[in-house]
Amino acid sequence: MRSSGNCSSKLTRSLLALALALGGCAGRMPAPGTPVPVARVAVLPVDNLSGSAAPLKTIREELAARLLARGITVLPDKELDAFMTRHRLRYVGGVTRDDAVAFRQEAGVDAVAVTSLELYGESFPPRIALTTRLVSTGSDPKILAMESTALAGDDTPGLLGMGLIDKPQTLRAVAMDRLVAGLLAEGGRERTGPALRPASVFRNQPLDPGKGYNVAVLPFFNKSSRRYAGEIVALHFIRELVKAGRFSVLEPGVARQELLQYRIIMEDGVSLADAELVFGIMRVDLLFTGNVNDYDDIQGVIGAPKVDFTALMLNRDNRKAGWAVDTHARGDDRVYLFDLGRLSTANALAAAMTRGAVQTLVPPGTARQP
Amino acid sequence: MTVRFTSALLLLVAMALAGCAAAPLDMYRDANMDFGAVRTVAILPLANLTRESSAAERVRDVFGTALLATGSLYVIPPGEVARGLNRVGVANPAAPSTEEAIKLAAVIKADAIITGTIKEYGEVRSGSSAANVISLSMQLIEAQTGKLVWTASTTKGGIGISDRLFGGGGEAMNTITVKAIDEIIGKLFQ
Repeated sequence: MRSSGNCSSKLTRSLLALALALGGCAGRMPAPGTPVPVARVAVLPVDNLSGSAAPLKTIREELAARLLARGITVLPDKELDAFMTRHRLRYVGGVTRDDAVAFRQEAGVDAVAVTSLELYGESFPPRIALTTRLVSTGSDPKILAMESTALAGDDTPGLLGMGLIDKPQTLRAVAMDRLVAGLLAEGGRERTGPALRPASVFRNQPLDPGKGYNVAVLPFFNKSSRRYAGEIVALHFIRELVKAGRFSVLEPGVARQELLQYRIIMEDGVSLADAELVFGIMRVDLLFTGNVNDYDDIQGVIGAPKVDFTALMLNRDNRKAGWAVDTHARGDDRVYLFDLGRLSTANALAAAMTRGAVQTLVPPGTARQP
Repeated sequence: MTVRFTSALLLLVAMALAGCAAAPLDMYRDANMDFGAVRTVAILPLANLTRESSAAERVRDVFGTALLATGSLYVIPPGEVARGLNRVGVANPAAPSTEEAIKLAAVIKADAIITGTIKEYGEVRSGSSAANVISLSMQLIEAQTGKLVWTASTTKGGIGISDRLFGGGGEAMNTITVKAIDEIIGKLFQ
């Protein structure tokens, strides 16, 4: 891996850091589809939410290699290991405020790439689902960009099965390329996918079109049989809220740190007392939470994935629920002919459902103008 | 003779029609209650009489959002209801006593409390046929007096003639759950 050391790159980094810090002060999110201005990145080890064994080291290396190929300097492994040891950094699913400051001051990185592996299977058809976000470093860590991808080897079988992918490494490479292209907004265009409208929608009052909102998404309560389903659906929500361009979403690592620090335990959902505390300590206007009732992937090639969740948004202004949705779908709900429109993984289905849910809150094309 | 027969026939038809107009047996509504005054409700954890351990939570979740989506009632978030239940110390949240219901409503600032029971949830089999079924009942307790002012029940799904003849397994559980809840809400706002 390449590391920067000359004077001009240091100057560039300093200017970039200053620009990022000023950008953070303005409280604005980069508009959707805007290339992300990062020069030096630390790629954290992959957080495994798949519930199965996976080549996490290889996935991290492949991600780092693709960032390097696009001219982004990656913090060398040895430096990252030393940093993680020094700071006893074991949780790799997010970045805390303290870690973000240390990453800026000690490692000199502009952003940290946090990757979650949400699905991995090597038997035919191979499957993979990944989410990566770039979190700015410094005293106010912000999500600069976020992208996810979910693929199965039989997504596009084509004529006589010529489009089938049977090798996990081939599928992984395709997924990685899509992930990095989406993350860095290559081509200046944002990737979108299908959006599935929820079964029930409640809106108390529309959001102020001229206002930007600070929001926190808490992990959803997992009532399904799939491990980490609550975290996965929360990540989907964070991605869609980031992409909506109206929200400054609190980095989940910071939210987790605050919940742990104040020992906020929510066994049966968020009470108004909890919400009050969260609004205060996290300094957010809106709070998202919910329940995941089903998150089922298929085994083999027969059947369809199934996802069922409800989401609730609490508003700081009136301490009331401002928006709620109930959504459930199967991967073959939109199929009428020849498997066209089929979503083959629960991850892709959850992505479409959260996209549809967020669109009921912020209709497409209504992003706040800076 | 013909006149007497015609009269008897007309009487019989009138009695039959009167029978059709009778109040439905699966619903009770307190005629003296002003339902328009109820703006905020709390849905308590539902009693689960089925083998599906998560049935009550699922139905409560769907019912809460569907009730909110009507725009007529505000449903207190489940976490706040749980806090209220703990604070009041309700022994059986699925069936609170009158005193407990009044205390709970005061703590969480609800105008009414909804309780319910899930009687059937999941697949039923009959011979070689199988289909999903849901059967539930709901009650509304007025907060000031703790009095039961509305109750309704519904059953959706089950094995129909087409399932017996052609198989197919009936409708998806989510679909019949939404249908059952829509019917219950319809009965609440009747």
